This record gives sequence, C-alpha cells and structure tokens, in this order.
Amino acid sequence: MEHVDHILIVDDDREIRELVGNYLKKNGMRTTVIADGRQMRAFLDTTPVDLIVLDIMMPGDDGLLLCRELRVGKHKATPILMLTARNDETDRIVGLEMGADDYLTKPFSARELLARINAVLRRTRMLPPNLVVTETGRLLGFGRWRLDTSARHLLDRDGTVVTLSGAEYRLLRVFLDHPQRVLNRDQLLNLTQGRDADLFDRSIDLLVSRLRQRLLDDAREPSYIKTMRSEGYVFSYPVEILDAQP
Amino acid sequence: MKIALRWPRTLASQLSLIFLVSLVLAHGLSFSLQFYERYESAKSTMLGNLESDVATSIAILDRLPSAERESWLPRLERRNYRYLLGEGEAGQPIDPKAKPVAARSIDEAIGQDYRVTYTDVPGPKKHFQGHLKLTDGTPVVIDVFPSTLSYALWLPVVLLVQLGLLTGCTFLAVRMAIRPLTRLARAAENLDPNVHTRPLDESGPAEVAFAAAAFNSMQSRIASYLRERMQILGAISHDLQTPITRMKLRAEFMDDSTERDKLWNDLNEMEHLVREGVAYARSVHGAAETSQRIDLDSFLDSLVFDYQDMGKQVQLQGKNGAVIITRPHALRRVLVNLVDNALNFAGAAQIVVGARTEGELSIAVLDRGPGIAEAELVQVMQPFYRVENSRNRDTGGTGLGLAIAHQLALALGGSLTLSNREGGGLCAQLKLGAPVRA
Repeated sequence: MEHVDHILIVDDDREIRELVGNYLKKNGMRTTVIADGRQMRAFLDTTPVDLIVLDIMMPGDDGLLLCRELRVGKHKATPILMLTARNDETDRIVGLEMGADDYLTKPFSARELLARINAVLRRTRMLPPNLVVTETGRLLGFGRWRLDTSARHLLDRDGTVVTLSGAEYRLLRVFLDHPQRVLNRDQLLNLTQGRDADLFDRSIDLLVSRLRQRLLDDAREPSYIKTMRSEGYVFSYPVEILDAQP
Repeated sequence: MKIALRWPRTLASQLSLIFLVSLVLAHGLSFSLQFYERYESAKSTMLGNLESDVATSIAILDRLPSAERESWLPRLERRNYRYLLGEGEAGQPIDPKAKPVAARSIDEAIGQDYRVTYTDVPGPKKHFQGHLKLTDGTPVVIDVFPSTLSYALWLPVVLLVQLGLLTGCTFLAVRMAIRPLTRLARAAENLDPNVHTRPLDESGPAEVAFAAAAFNSMQSRIASYLRERMQILGAISHDLQTPITRMKLRAEFMDDSTERDKLWNDLNEMEHLVREGVAYARSVHGAAETSQRIDLDSFLDSLVFDYQDMGKQVQLQGKNGAVIITRPHALRRVLVNLVDNALNFAGAAQIVVGARTEGELSIAVLDRGPGIAEAELVQVMQPFYRVENSRNRDTGGTGLGLAIAHQLALALGGSLTLSNREGGGLCAQLKLGAPVRA
C-alpha cells in the first residue's frame, strides 16, 4: 500500500487548523489537527507522524518551546514547519535555531504551505544526511570559513559577514550535510530547490561556480567543492561543528 | 579697512559684553570721580598754601637786609617752587590771558603790591617763572614747577587686576548661566526616543533642575507614546493576520471564478498593508538588530542573485571591496524596498555602487520608469503619500515602501535622496557612513 503522509497541525485557532487540515486532506494527505502542546504530546506518544506544522504564538506552551522539546526527545527526526504571525527576522532566526526545518509567515496560503511541506519531506527523505550537521550545529567550520546556520551567512576569519543568496546558502548546506560524498546534478537540484521551487531555474553548474566565487575557491584547483567529471560535485573539505545547538 | 561692528549672535557673548561693558563703565566712572575729587582738593590745598606762602615769603625777602636774603632762600624753598635772586632764565613771556592757575594764585597773593611778569622756561623740565622787583629794586624770581599729580606706582597694577577680576567673574557667571542651556539644547538635539537615552542630570540651581526635570519627563512621555503606538500597531496587525489567514484559506476552497480572484487580490493587498504598517512602525522605532561587519560586494551580489533567481530584472554595477559596519537586515530592507519600487514602476532595476570616496559610501538604485515630479520628490518619502500620476495603488504599493526605506536609512546613520534621471527614470541614492576598510 502506498504511504500516505501523516501531517500533524498544531494551532490554537480552530478555523485555521481545520481549514489547513481539510486542504491537505483534499491533496491526498492524512491530517490530525490539535489545539495545544498538551494534546500534541499525548498524541505523539501513541502515533508517529511524518511532519508537524507548529504555530509559534499559542497560549500556554508556545511553538518555540514545543519545537525545542521535540528536538531533544524521541521525535527529533520528525520535520517541523513553523507558522509565525510576525513578519520578523528574529522570529525566523529563533525558530530555525530551535530546530525547525522551515517556517511560513501568516497570513499564508494553503497552496504555499503544501509546497513547503512537500519540499521539507523531499529534502529529509531523498538523501538522509550522513552528517547531521545542520540539525545540530549552529556554527560550522571548514577551512577559512564559518557558516552561521541560523543567520544564514558566512563568516570570514576576521568575523566579516559574507552574505549568501538564498540558493547559494541552500547549495552550501547540502554540501555541508553530505561532505566527502559525490552528489549528482539531479540530487543537488532537488535538494537545493527550497521555497522557490517553481521559480528556480538556474543550472547547478552556474550556482556552483557562484558559490566557489563566494568562497574564494579557485575553479581550476578548488579546495572546497571538487568537480567529478560526468558525476557531479563533492565537498572535499572536512566540516567541523564549532558551536552546537543548545 | 572697515570693521563692521555688529551685535554678537551668541547669548554667551551678548551677556559677556553687557556685563563687561557695564561693569567697566561703572568702575571707571567711580574711579574717575574719585580721582577728580582728589585732584581738586589737592589743587585747592596747594594753591591756598601757595597764596599765603608766596605773600609771606616775598614779604620776608622784602624786609630782609639784602645781604641775608641769599641765606634765607633755601628755607623758603618748597617742593614745587623756589625763590631765586636775579633776573632768572630767559624764556617766552606768557600771555596774561593764558596764565597757569598757580600764576593767578601768585597774582592774588602779591599782585597788589608787586608787578609780576611771567615767562615760560622750556626745557626737559618745563616750568615758569614769575619776575618781580622788591621794593629796593632787587629782582626776584619765583620759579614754579607745576606739579604733576603724583600717584602711586602700583595704581595701574591695581587697575589691571581689577579689570582682570571683572573679566574673569563675567566669564564665570556667563558660563554658569549658559552651560545648562547648552546641555539642554544638546540633549534635545540628541533626543532619540528609540534608544534609551540617559536622563538629564537634574542637579544644579533651581531653574536648571526644573528645566532638566521637565525635559526628562517629556523624553519619557515621548518614549511611552512611541511604545504605545508600536503596541497598538502590533496588536492590530497580529489580530488582523488571523482573520486574513482564515479568509485566504477559505478562498482557496472556493471554485475558480473572477470573484474569487478579486477576493484573493484584496486579501493580498490587506496582508501587504498590515505587514508594511508594522515594518514602518518598527523602522521608526529603530531596530533591535546588532551591527556587524559586512562585506559589501557579497551583500549586494546575493541580493541581486535572489532577485534574478526569481526571474526579476535586477543588475548590479560596480564593485567596491568595502567592509562596512551596519545592520544587515535593515540595509537589505532599504535596498529591497527601493528595488521593489523600481520593479513596480519600470520592470527593471539597476544597483550602482559608488566608487570609493573618502568617508562616504553611495549605493544608487536606478530605474527607467516614469519618475516623480520634482515638487514631490521629498514628499513621497512621507508615509502613505501617493503621487498623482501613474504611481498609484493599482501598481500594488501601500505608500509605505519609500517611507520605510527613508526611516531605516536614517536609522542606519545614512540618508536617502530621490532624483529624476536624465533621459527619464528615478534614481534613489543611499548614502552611508564611512566604510571600515576601503
């Protein structure tokens, strides 16, 4: 029998959680809607789910607290998608630091939510990371660079911020999640397509060359991202976790 | 050369001038008055003495046997005048109308008995002589050295010390009066309700303390108004987001129709407005974000790539190599608003980084859209201001984008100016403080 994704929706607004639930159901998913953290814990004790949609602003235990709790418990592998009411960078950063896989700002459309859910599921399933660095590391080090995974930028030796575009960051994260492993272009394209899946149409080769420039990596003799002819690319530099998640 | 005398502009110099001039004048007046009094009394005493003395001395000389006269002369000599036997020195005869006062006194004393003629004797020590003949025909000369009024050597020193004291006290008093005012002015100028400013020192003289306390309470009042406004805006937007989310979700269950599309567009517009409203309130209130060292080229590069990845026509021109200390999210927001604006009205945007210049960094966002009427270039940065021509709501603007960019540019310590380009289009120029490493 074909697997049906089971999505758990935790939101204190009854209408929103039911509308979202119905929409996802209509699109072939199994959904459970729940109003608060207490019910969520009780439900997860008996039933495993594929993904949790978690509202940040909730009375009682808020989404951030629940997210952190899930990340240290037995459900730490379950992907989490946060819903935040405030269009605020700090919310996003805090959410990602707490271990959420993605976030969506209210008001959102159900179509957008569905796309995000699918992207997160694809990302976590397609290629399980052999180094779970982005799950556990807030600050990753490789060569002269450090990557801040919550602020999503690179830090030079002297602490200067080198900004990455969205696609560059996602590509680098894929590489850092799978160091010393050859990744072909299809895999890279799939893993790199994040939130703008339908809009992103740049070829992986161009993106890799852009990322190399950003890392000041010489394309002829690259020290970080090596080209494997007719196979794809490999991140050949050792990655270390400099600062673990709390 | 013409020296223009004009009323000084600063309160300090005005007060100093008034104090100093009036004190010096008052002081000078009383000093001169005293001096004059002393001079007059000294003169009348001296002349009185002279009068009686000359009369007595001449009478003595007249009665003395001519052989004894010579020996009496030293005894009759006074400080300012002496008697000589003989014709005296040669000199200019004095016009009787312009006789010195001392000569007149001599006339008063002996004029009735003797005929006295006067001559001026020039020389290093100017003096005059009165010539007369005693009853036995012996010529006698009264040699008068008009005295200069004697004063102590320390007098100018005392005067100078007094002047110094006056100047010093004036300076001190004026400074004391002005300093609290200057401090208040500076505090008012630096008044930024976004940051927690230190309250003004409320010590000092009663008036100063009162003004400082009034200023402090005003400062905290402004801060609380702003906080309140933020809370209201935040609450409204948060409470609006839930119903908008519900409506959007419901709309997605509706069948495809123009009504649904219209509803969808209205909801998007509402959502946009709510977001921008909060963003504007936040930009005025200042961000909590901390500053970081940012590599400017990669910062702009990634911004442009993000647009290009979404299929937008945004180009970057120029590299700068600068590292700046700034708040990256705020700066990004400014640029995103400017680029979005350009994309809305022209469909394409160009970001141009200025060459390295001393102390300033310039980033311009250019478009080839319709531009803005010259008269409205400043007003468009006011919140909710909309220009009359084609830049209107139909293009999706809330009237807050430029206002937010403007506020944030100020919060970043920079400035934002709009201008129309030659050949059409708008140029939004952002100027920031000095790069750290050029």
